[in-house]
Amino acid sequence: MSMTNDSVIIEIKDLKKHFKEVKAVDGVSLKIKKGELFSILGPNGAGKTTLVRMLTTILTPTSGDAFINGHSILTGKKEIVKKIGVCPQDITIYEVLRAEENVEFVASMHGISREEAKQKAKTLLENFGIAGRRDWSKHFSGGMQRRLNLVMSLVFDPEILFLDEPTAGLDPQARRLVWDFIGDLKQKDITIILMTHDMVEADSLSDRVAIIDNGKIIVQGTPTELKEKYGSDNVLEVSFLEQEDLEIVKNNLKNISFVANWKEISRKERKTLLIAFQGGLKNLVKVLQQGLIENIDEVENMKFRQNSLEDVFLNLTGKRLRD
Amino acid sequence: MTILENKAIQISIKNLKDKLRHWQYMFFSLLLPIMFTIMFYFMLGTEEDKTGRTGFDYGFPGMIMYAVGMGTMNAAIMFAQDKSSGMLSRLDTIPTGRKNMFLGALISESLFLMLQISIMFIVGYLVLGLYFVSPFALFIGFLVTVLFGISSVGVGIMIASVSKNVEVANAFSLVVFMLLAFLSGSLMPFESPIVYFTPPYWAKQLYLQLTVMGDGFNKCLFSSSLIGESAEKIPITLGAGLLIIFAYTSIFIMLGILVFQKKTKF
Repeated sequence: MSMTNDSVIIEIKDLKKHFKEVKAVDGVSLKIKKGELFSILGPNGAGKTTLVRMLTTILTPTSGDAFINGHSILTGKKEIVKKIGVCPQDITIYEVLRAEENVEFVASMHGISREEAKQKAKTLLENFGIAGRRDWSKHFSGGMQRRLNLVMSLVFDPEILFLDEPTAGLDPQARRLVWDFIGDLKQKDITIILMTHDMVEADSLSDRVAIIDNGKIIVQGTPTELKEKYGSDNVLEVSFLEQEDLEIVKNNLKNISFVANWKEISRKERKTLLIAFQGGLKNLVKVLQQGLIENIDEVENMKFRQNSLEDVFLNLTGKRLRD
Repeated sequence: MTILENKAIQISIKNLKDKLRHWQYMFFSLLLPIMFTIMFYFMLGTEEDKTGRTGFDYGFPGMIMYAVGMGTMNAAIMFAQDKSSGMLSRLDTIPTGRKNMFLGALISESLFLMLQISIMFIVGYLVLGLYFVSPFALFIGFLVTVLFGISSVGVGIMIASVSKNVEVANAFSLVVFMLLAFLSGSLMPFESPIVYFTPPYWAKQLYLQLTVMGDGFNKCLFSSSLIGESAEKIPITLGAGLLIIFAYTSIFIMLGILVFQKKTKF
């Protein structure tokens, strides 16, 4: 985590955006520190994009204010747009321009000289695997267009980067590429605000996460804090062929203090034990080290389901992120 | 910073690339004026009157204003496309500036208009042998046409700003363009004081009298949409008419900027 500087770079104060009866964003207050990767996690329609559109000065709030690097979104648009990079959720590229033309155009709007813009575009496009394409962007695959969409927000080295669902629709390989790149950006002290409904993305990349639902922030903290406080137990599922083996394991469990409970389920010949315990992967190792499966003839199958932000969301709202 | 690195210029270069790479658009925009010119050549006839001018010579100024008025539609569609694709929002998150966006569009649309007008001039004057008083008068005619074209772009941008999507912008601009074309008497004679409230009338009449009739800036304008027996002189000089065209263009551009700034805020 690159949270070396604790100064607040974004402060959101009771921000609201109402569209007639619909309360898209309803009193959001947050503080985001410099160099932090802050994720706003929520299902579709939770208010993430409306929030980012207000923070990036596209949308005027109904009430409240937010300060980006000390500048109000209501009065400091000119200063704010010089500091922020925005990767919108929808792919917004000029389809009949080539990849480098799109990137160079954005660079030129930031006052970057043509030579420098060319160089930066080349480097970024190489990093994202789009270099060398001479055809128009409309001929690119969806994944390539999405990567270009992201590159366009990076060309001027923004201090603050807003990423609205940057990996939506990408294949696993391209998604990994984007995640790696976001990881690299974190090292460069760029403040990143990531809007996502992907719990794995939020969990693996974020320093802190705020969960949003129905326009309100319902909880915020580090992924570990949230999972420990609001998540479910980790579950280890062990299957045996013999009932005798299962009984041995059940007996062994009595000696392990952090095991919350266990449940036996049997399907056909397979005898399965679901073991719930607190803590993360460290405790899984401890469970195994404390002789859980000692004196067992054969373990047929073993699965581990880790407590996730999905559980946090489910426990707090009673619904799944994908609902 | 070189002139080419100026933001408005960069936007206009991007817009021109965008236009030139849409072959259907190019086909429509460049072939239509040629088609129009040839069509009117046959429609208005080549029989000379006692001054040696033909019906086509008299009709060309109105026809060119009609064709240039289509710039209203082009500008409206281009802006509406950027608006509905989300590109306008994206440009709002980078230090582009609304004025640069507007100015960039104005420059690219004006350059494109000049290309269209030049093509019509080449076809009309070089190929079909249209009459003109002098090269200077022809140049004045060209400038008047460009000036009117720029005012059309201003109207187009206003229409795009208030339109929800490309289809609405297209339909709305078509209505405005057709209405102005007919109310101004650009294409067909329209004997009514309404003509004085339409920019195409002034543009066409100035072009006709300065370039085709050979009148000076001190001569008075004709009231009619065509020079004929019923045409009477009105006490406004051609010089004042030129100022009126300037005024119309300035007003439409300023209104365009205002409406664009106000109506594209979310």
